[in-house]
Amino acid sequence: MRIEHLSKVYPNGTRALDDVSLDIHRGEFVVLIGLSGSGKSTLLRCINRLVEPTSGRIVFDGVDMTRVRGGELRRMRRRIGMIFQQFNLVRRSSVFANVLSGRLGSRPLWRTLAMRPTTDDVALAFENLGRVGIVDKAYSRADALSGGQQQRVGIARALMQRPDVMLADEPVASLDPATSHSVMKYLEEINRKDGITVVCSLHFLSLARRYGTRVIALKDGRVAFDGKPAEIDERRFKEIYGEDAVEVEIGVGATAEERAAAEAAIATEAAMRAHLETLDTH
Amino acid sequence: MAEYFRSRNLPVPRELERNFLTDWRRLGTIVVVMAVLYIGLQITGIDTSRANLGYWFSVLGQLVNFDFSIMTPQNEFETFWETAGGQMIVTIFLGIIATAMSIVIALPLSFLGARNIMTGNPITAAIYGIVRVIFTVVRSIDVLIVVILSSILFGLGNAAGVFALAFHNIGVLGKLYSEAIEGIDPGPGEAITATGADRFQVIWTAVLPQIVNPFISFTIYRLDANVRLAPILGLVGGGGIGQLLFFTINLLQYRKAGLIIFLIILTVAVMDFVSAQVRRRLI
Repeated sequence: MRIEHLSKVYPNGTRALDDVSLDIHRGEFVVLIGLSGSGKSTLLRCINRLVEPTSGRIVFDGVDMTRVRGGELRRMRRRIGMIFQQFNLVRRSSVFANVLSGRLGSRPLWRTLAMRPTTDDVALAFENLGRVGIVDKAYSRADALSGGQQQRVGIARALMQRPDVMLADEPVASLDPATSHSVMKYLEEINRKDGITVVCSLHFLSLARRYGTRVIALKDGRVAFDGKPAEIDERRFKEIYGEDAVEVEIGVGATAEERAAAEAAIATEAAMRAHLETLDTH
Repeated sequence: MAEYFRSRNLPVPRELERNFLTDWRRLGTIVVVMAVLYIGLQITGIDTSRANLGYWFSVLGQLVNFDFSIMTPQNEFETFWETAGGQMIVTIFLGIIATAMSIVIALPLSFLGARNIMTGNPITAAIYGIVRVIFTVVRSIDVLIVVILSSILFGLGNAAGVFALAFHNIGVLGKLYSEAIEGIDPGPGEAITATGADRFQVIWTAVLPQIVNPFISFTIYRLDANVRLAPILGLVGGGGIGQLLFFTINLLQYRKAGLIIFLIILTVAVMDFVSAQVRRRLI
């Protein structure tokens, strides 16, 4: 995917992206970092045209995304999965229905109206639910799940598209550190095993270092840094986040001790949840 | 009190600086209100001197001394449906049918009247504006006036009442539905759009599940309101039990009128209770 001179000016005059040019290669795990308002979300949303760029081009697999319209645009969107900070599940629908909705773009309208998914789609939905480890929750209402579980439903929904690229807009910003790692691990897995290119915006540099193969920093809508995670030193960090910023470590697997703590937190959460469920059934 | 601030060279809060008695704005307001009320009394000429308390009490006595003959057919030409009980049931159904008719029209229109669905291109934005204006205009004409107009079209009777109720209700339900749609979380719709679904699929999967409950709640609220309105419509030609009440009052049959009024109060109370219960359970 090639992004050329991409700019976005919102109607209120905010210049969210200012002449951004990037090449993203197949199989990369690109992490976008930068302060709030630096243009991360806008960049991600321009790629699948949830936001219309003001100027510039995005060439994805030989197709100029900024030119396609109607059915052609929907066909291109199908190849690009997306997950969101607020999960954006249909809260009142079941987990299963939410996952299936990832397949809408490939199916005729009457199947949506009659709520008749194809057998293949149902099988694929359960396969993807299995991959993110929540088959047992398939018929729960989406809003009955914890934040981490909801984000995994979001991943399963995006996987239904069998995407070439996965966009993730602050996928763990609403989650606690332990849950963040479990969600990031699923993203890492689809990147490594399925070869899906991941473009993920993150707040925490420690997560970016742990999971990214490449880090792109945005500052005021411009690319401030583009390189290997390890290349971000104290000086670059201050350039991206400002002089006053201090790097925060988030329960990251940097040392064996921290990793153990994170895993213990996940185990505790699981135990608590299991306990709560037994309470519920009584 | 203001001295406290002045002695310390601080700005004095405005409410302390004003004196109630010398504040010309307050005095002015009081004078204007008094003047309006005085002029109003003068030009309306409200005259209470002819009030006949004795007659009033005698009618009140008749109103509570129910004449139950209207609850049963009085001759071989009358059926149950001509009795007060039958007419009450007919009136309830007038409200129900009017509500159903208005849902059929308001439901699809409400999507066209929801800003978040219709933004994006100038044509849909224009449709949104037009639909909203229609809702407002339709809503602003009182049902009683619509009944008078529709009774000219359909003649006095149930048809006039039902169509008037339905017409007014389209405006009210349309506005309530549209606002429910505007109040949804845009996130799921964004997510479904990102999967490559078209606009209709997005509405069906991401918008509909979010609005089912508010829609049911608003519909029951309006059903309740319509069943309460239906008896009144009869007084101006909309059929149902209101018409019966109108006739009995004109014939000075206050004992029958009292029973009809009691039936209406009873029905409204029951409707009120049921609709509150149903709506509470939904939320």
